[in-house]
Amino acid sequence: MPVKEKEPLIMHPRPSSIVAALYTLRDLDTDVVILHGPPGCCFKHARLLEEDGMRVVTTSLDESGFVFGGHDSLVEVLEKVIKRFNPKRIGIVGTCASMIIGEELHEAVTEVQPDVPVIEVEVHAGYRDNTKGVIIALESALASGIISEAEFERQKGLLKEATMVEKRHGAASKEYLEPNRGDLKFKVAGRLLELLKQGKKGLNILNAKKETAFMFADINLAVAETAEKLGCGPNIINMANLDDNVGLPKNRRNAREIKDELKQRGMELHHIIGGLDEYPVAGNTASRIISENYPDYDFAVITGVPHALPIDNIKNMELFSITNGPRQVVPLKDMGHKHVVVEIDLHPKTLGVNHIVESEFGATLREMAKDA
Amino acid sequence: MPKQIAIYGKGGIGKSSTASNVAAACADEGHRVTIIGCDPKSDSSITLLRGRRIPTIMDLMRQGEDIKEEDIVFSGYKGVKCVEIGGPEPGIGCAGRGIIVAISLLKKISKAIEDTDLVIYDVPGDIVCGGFVAPVKKGLVNEAYVLTSGEYMPLYAANNICKGLSRLEMTLNGVICNSRGAPNEENIVSEFAKEIGSRLLAFIPKDVLVQTCEREGYSVIEKASDSAIAGVYRKLARSIMARSEGKIPMPLDDKRLRELTRI
Ligand SMILES: Nc1ncnc2c1ncn2[C@@H]1O[C@H](COP(=O)(O)OP(=O)(O)O)[C@@H](O)[C@H]1O
Ligand code: SF4
Ligand SMILES: [Mg+2]
Repeated sequence: MPVKEKEPLIMHPRPSSIVAALYTLRDLDTDVVILHGPPGCCFKHARLLEEDGMRVVTTSLDESGFVFGGHDSLVEVLEKVIKRFNPKRIGIVGTCASMIIGEELHEAVTEVQPDVPVIEVEVHAGYRDNTKGVIIALESALASGIISEAEFERQKGLLKEATMVEKRHGAASKEYLEPNRGDLKFKVAGRLLELLKQGKKGLNILNAKKETAFMFADINLAVAETAEKLGCGPNIINMANLDDNVGLPKNRRNAREIKDELKQRGMELHHIIGGLDEYPVAGNTASRIISENYPDYDFAVITGVPHALPIDNIKNMELFSITNGPRQVVPLKDMGHKHVVVEIDLHPKTLGVNHIVESEFGATLREMAKDA
Repeated sequence: MPKQIAIYGKGGIGKSSTASNVAAACADEGHRVTIIGCDPKSDSSITLLRGRRIPTIMDLMRQGEDIKEEDIVFSGYKGVKCVEIGGPEPGIGCAGRGIIVAISLLKKISKAIEDTDLVIYDVPGDIVCGGFVAPVKKGLVNEAYVLTSGEYMPLYAANNICKGLSRLEMTLNGVICNSRGAPNEENIVSEFAKEIGSRLLAFIPKDVLVQTCEREGYSVIEKASDSAIAGVYRKLARSIMARSEGKIPMPLDDKRLRELTRI
């Protein structure tokens, strides 16, 4: 019998499958999600998601719920949710606590019989890869006819790639990753200005995960603006994963909003390398475009998920990476990225917005360009 | 859809021996049978496998094996498919969660509970937590049977199980009396069955053959097929396979239960 290749233990905390399911439900335009579990479970993200207009409530399982079961609470909350919010689409999401005691989410739905679709997600936080939470949510959406088989398969393929990206050079690449604030923004911006002034040729790549693009795009925009200002605009090639014809409704909407704003603010996109949910594979497209057209460029600015860009065709360039994960700094440096900048707490600032949000690095670059 | 049954009753009352003999008897009649042992003791299928202990799903999961159907589904007497869920060491972890995880794995990698005529879930004596009713809640059980003797404690347990079933809105398809030689036993259990709204399906006498065959790793059906008790199991198997109607049981109060054991 083949023994599974024992996966190494990873000690640093990582994104949770329950949270991943919550974000997926948001992308599916769910109005209210009921977390069936303890009151504090996923508190921070539940709160943040409300910025995006999705309500999150909890069945508040307590000690007695753990012992005697939480079916009645779930029924009660489901009924209240229907009355209070009049939702068109409801999600019910499991937690470690409710799943361990064997709660059946479906029983409550059968009992209440809501006349709107309910996406039931039997998930807990004990999966090695948090993408499992997305897959379970999508399976349930598929079962209730909310997404098509084709979209489901597409998403599943992307998630598999996302997991691989994290294993290769991301949060799951090492037993323990030290958090790190990255390089000083003003130093990195200074070096970038220097290269621009020297008339070096550069790639300006946005490869961001979903709504985080609202802030990462600001950095690419700042680079384009600065190059323009210095009269070296034509030296810069812009690429972005802003295809608005793929993905779940929210991702398409966001891609369109960002693309329109970039255009309106004078930035031309030379290449579209994929959609906002295609960040695990869009790097491959970018890599191909680079090897065919720009193999001898001098530098590259990569924002979002820089570690998803294969290193082969850019390894001779001076690399500027902007990430939002303090635990992504070390792996990026290991890959050979010379400058790594962290936009700390970026994600929360990109919830509930429909326009580009100013980034620290972008602001730094613009400010320094004034004196250049 | 196959007939999917679970046999409930007090621990030690004879659920596993009844389950394996019924499985063997049904296999003799040409039915395809699957038996799923849900007791962490994992002793449900041993007499269908000539005394062999098979690896349990939980054992393999604990070792981090990449589990395939052939690792957990074993062919026993006349092709009966045998699966043991197993469980953690007593006093450690969560056996209930184990059942939930094991059942969903089994469903994913095997057709043993779909492509068959009869699935028997051999459950532990006490439904101690949510995990132990997972097969029922997941819709994998559509008929329940209660096994009891005519003694007070087994009847008390049987009555409690009926409370659980009625709470789950699960129907009871019959009561089976496994005799322990108490006086007037058949009448007592038959009366109990009637009062909870069910019927006595079979009276299995106490017979040392059950234990001697068991010791050698056989069911009575296989080792002593001409014995009277083998005939009883065969008859029981036929009435289980026959289309039967279940009813949600109405448990008795304790006073009535005590009276019953005195008739
Ligand atoms: N009708 C019977 N006559 C004699 N012994 C029996 C009979 N039914 C069961 N036994 C014996 O009783 C013991 C407990 O039975 P078992 O099936 O393991 O109980 P359970 O599964 O309910 O815990 C076993 O040794 C078994 O052989
Ligand atoms: S352990 Fe699980 S259920 Fe409890 S708070 Fe954390 S994620 Fe939620
Ligand atoms: Mg047993």
